[in-house]
Amino acid sequence: MKKKKYWYKLDNAGKIFPAVSKDDRSNVFRLSFYLDETIDPVVLEEAVNKVLPRFETLAVQLKNGLFWNYFSSNHRHFVVDKEPAELCKYFKPMNNHGFLFKVYYLNNKVTLETFHALTDGAGALHFLKSIIYHYFKLRGFKIDHEGSILSEKPYSKKESEDNFVTNYDKNKRRNLQEEKAYHLEGEHFSHHWVLLLKAKVDTKALINLAKTKYHATITQFITALLAYSIYKETNDFIGNKKPLKIFVPVNLRPYFDSVTLRNFSLYIKGTYDSKKTDWTFDEMLALTKEQFVDQLDKDKLQSRISSLVGYEKNIFIRILPLFLKTIAFKIGYSVLGESISSCSISNLGIVTLPIECDHKILDVDFVNAGYGLAMTLISLHSFTNITLSTPLKDLSIINHVISFLVDEGLEITLDTNYKEGYDEIL
Amino acid sequence: MKYCKSCKVNYDTTLEHCMLCNCELEEIENTEATYKFSEIKKRSNSRFFYRFFFFINIISALISIYLDYSANGFPLTWSWVVAINNLYVMVMFIILAIPTMWTSKLTKVLITTVMLVLLIGLAIRDYYWAIDYVLPIVVATNILLITILIITNKKKWYDYFASLIIITVIGLIPGLLNLIHLTHEPLPSFICFVYALITLMGIIFLPSKSSREEFKRRFHV
Repeated sequence: MKKKKYWYKLDNAGKIFPAVSKDDRSNVFRLSFYLDETIDPVVLEEAVNKVLPRFETLAVQLKNGLFWNYFSSNHRHFVVDKEPAELCKYFKPMNNHGFLFKVYYLNNKVTLETFHALTDGAGALHFLKSIIYHYFKLRGFKIDHEGSILSEKPYSKKESEDNFVTNYDKNKRRNLQEEKAYHLEGEHFSHHWVLLLKAKVDTKALINLAKTKYHATITQFITALLAYSIYKETNDFIGNKKPLKIFVPVNLRPYFDSVTLRNFSLYIKGTYDSKKTDWTFDEMLALTKEQFVDQLDKDKLQSRISSLVGYEKNIFIRILPLFLKTIAFKIGYSVLGESISSCSISNLGIVTLPIECDHKILDVDFVNAGYGLAMTLISLHSFTNITLSTPLKDLSIINHVISFLVDEGLEITLDTNYKEGYDEIL
Repeated sequence: MKYCKSCKVNYDTTLEHCMLCNCELEEIENTEATYKFSEIKKRSNSRFFYRFFFFINIISALISIYLDYSANGFPLTWSWVVAINNLYVMVMFIILAIPTMWTSKLTKVLITTVMLVLLIGLAIRDYYWAIDYVLPIVVATNILLITILIITNKKKWYDYFASLIIITVIGLIPGLLNLIHLTHEPLPSFICFVYALITLMGIIFLPSKSSREEFKRRFHV
């Protein structure tokens, strides 16, 4: 049976986010489903409130302890809102009944924006799928969940586990030192607005291109493509002292037999030397493959988990009062956190839904609004959406990515949140 | 659906020109494309007013100190009071602007106001009234208020818990001031100290499972 009152320590990945999040660094990511009907906000709100008690790790509010923040149960009513113009907008939980996620509606779209301290993409996707399933049920449709909707399965305590801690091994700790990375600079859009460009491609054609022509996985191919585009389109990368580092979050659940709904992902990275002046795409791809294979080793991943958890187990860090930790996190993140990564690519994989639900969902968005340039991939039905988002006005890198894919023979359909006339506002 | 001949990409949005090459898009299907996001509206930069508010207060404090120094030299007299009030207004603005629970806001407002009174007392070189009366009475009243809230709203008692602990610990300060003979009239400080001590003991020793749980949460290391 589920408890009515519960609380959680923040997981290792989530501990830093409450301290360092602000308007231009929201640490919020977005998942949207486009339905085949206009959304009824009343029914949507009912669906969210019906599903929420099942997701114990999401029905929480952030509280301050003397030494650490923690999540405490939140039984307040959740209210859905109309989608704002800004993607992945920073929000104050206090103005959201304490909840650390937002559910928006707009025409036929349902959007879930989640604060990263709460969960990662895999956890949020389970929640959104459950909301949509219940939305359709409340609308009167009879849909079999086919075992793929988490809210219809019995609650398991393992969903609430902090698997960073459960996989901590004191003897596997090692020194995690990161050199600083090359950063994309340029003029930003005003009002913390982030540009989104979604490229829809046929999944089979993309797999064919990556696997048959380049003998790589889609993530390896896209990472190399982004690295090559940055190399080609920036004029300050070559000769820069810092290497280009593309961070790719890896879902650790399959590696450690986990079903947790809390954060359980870790970055691997593609690193490209800025001293080399004659990169080719094939060279970058070969290097990416080599680096990914090397880093995607269970022992190495566990070693990194242990190192990260080791920091929070340090007695001097533990006994530091929260307000001092917050200051330390803010300074540490601005000195180290942002500076070690150039940009990120996140691949959430294929969205699987019950067949009756699948027919009623037309499209999907996955957006991770980071600094510089963030790229995401998500697949539904027979297509894959490659989404590029940036707060920068310079589109040359995005242009190169798209042109490369077109030249490789992919048919691309673009969608964007940009409109003519926005130049005057932003 | 639209098409860019130059970039060879389709567009499923309302744009008239290609984002990548600025060429005019061709209509290739008769289906009407829609814009699938909320439109951004032109808005003023509201942060300017916040910055202006802080700027005015800092200027006011600096001008007051300069005028006071020009007229009377050191030690400064009335300008301290103006500067302290400018600082108080800025701190109050920050407290009220940051969305937190109203009990937390109330505690912060009371602590800031007590600090204001003490600083003004120090500025006019007569702080005993602030230490003897204002500090113990305000703190004891706040402890009482939060205690009543906790008793009457048991469902939310853990939300008020942090405020109660902070204000109770502050409530011990008047007793310490008595001990080091900084007070002229010790009775209000003594009453405040005893009241805070009883409340603190109550928090620690009352055999309630939920309060023990709350302690565990708040103080987990």
